[in-house]
Amino acid sequence: MRSRSAATFLLGAGLKNVYNMEGGIRAWKGMVAQGLPEAGMAYFSPAANAEEIVGLAWALEEGSKFFYQGIAEHFSEDKEAHKMFNWLVSAEKSHEKHLLETYEALTGTKPDFEKMRAKFSDSLSGTVMEGGIAVKEALAWIQGKGVSESLELAIAMEVNAFDLYIKMSRAIEDKQAQQIFEKLSEEEQVHLEKLAGLLDKRV
Amino acid sequence: MGVLDYFKSVPTMSAEEARRFLAEKDPDEYNLVDVRQPAEYERGHIPGANLIPMAELKDRLHEIDPEKPTIVN
Repeated sequence: MRSRSAATFLLGAGLKNVYNMEGGIRAWKGMVAQGLPEAGMAYFSPAANAEEIVGLAWALEEGSKFFYQGIAEHFSEDKEAHKMFNWLVSAEKSHEKHLLETYEALTGTKPDFEKMRAKFSDSLSGTVMEGGIAVKEALAWIQGKGVSESLELAIAMEVNAFDLYIKMSRAIEDKQAQQIFEKLSEEEQVHLEKLAGLLDKRV
Repeated sequence: MGVLDYFKSVPTMSAEEARRFLAEKDPDEYNLVDVRQPAEYERGHIPGANLIPMAELKDRLHEIDPEKPTIVN
């Protein structure tokens, strides 16, 4: 098995505390992200500063918000699903607020909103959501689909966002920006738990 | 690496142990390395996993922080 050979090699190279995960991805029962390593990361430059990241994360959150609004409307008949997706809309809103507070706490200044909007809104805002998926395509896809399929898409989107934020927290050079990504990944995890909870009930 | 190295025991973690470990730690407290090929990684990987295909491992050792525990899959 490759991972075993790799672990042996790493131990030989002098690393301590190396563990081979038995069974690989097939044994993994947790969340699975999709896409190549660079997926989504192209939006963020490793040299980006906290302000740029907040702006971009903001634009992506806005896309997610529109996506959840669209799904909530689509399932207006299904009370439980409607409530759930509306909760996610408000979660994305408070996420935006949180980004702002994080930014202020880290830098001691308020971000220049107008500048951020001007920079990102034309190219991105509301068209692409977290995980790098186009909102329009995603909303077109859910037409005629059931709640559980929409939940699966939402989960896939959130897992990819979670994956992206973890990787960015490692790749980014700016210490403050690193902390923003760590916070974002923690919050994505909360969204995921919510979504997964409803999916469990529906399947 | 000699042939005999393959018979040495390597510490293992079950998928469940790894899942718990990753849930408890912050992303900056461990290395999570995926040594499969890019196409396999693209189809599905553990969130946050760093893709270093087996053949590139030797040249990309510097991407793994020796001070932190490392999980390989």
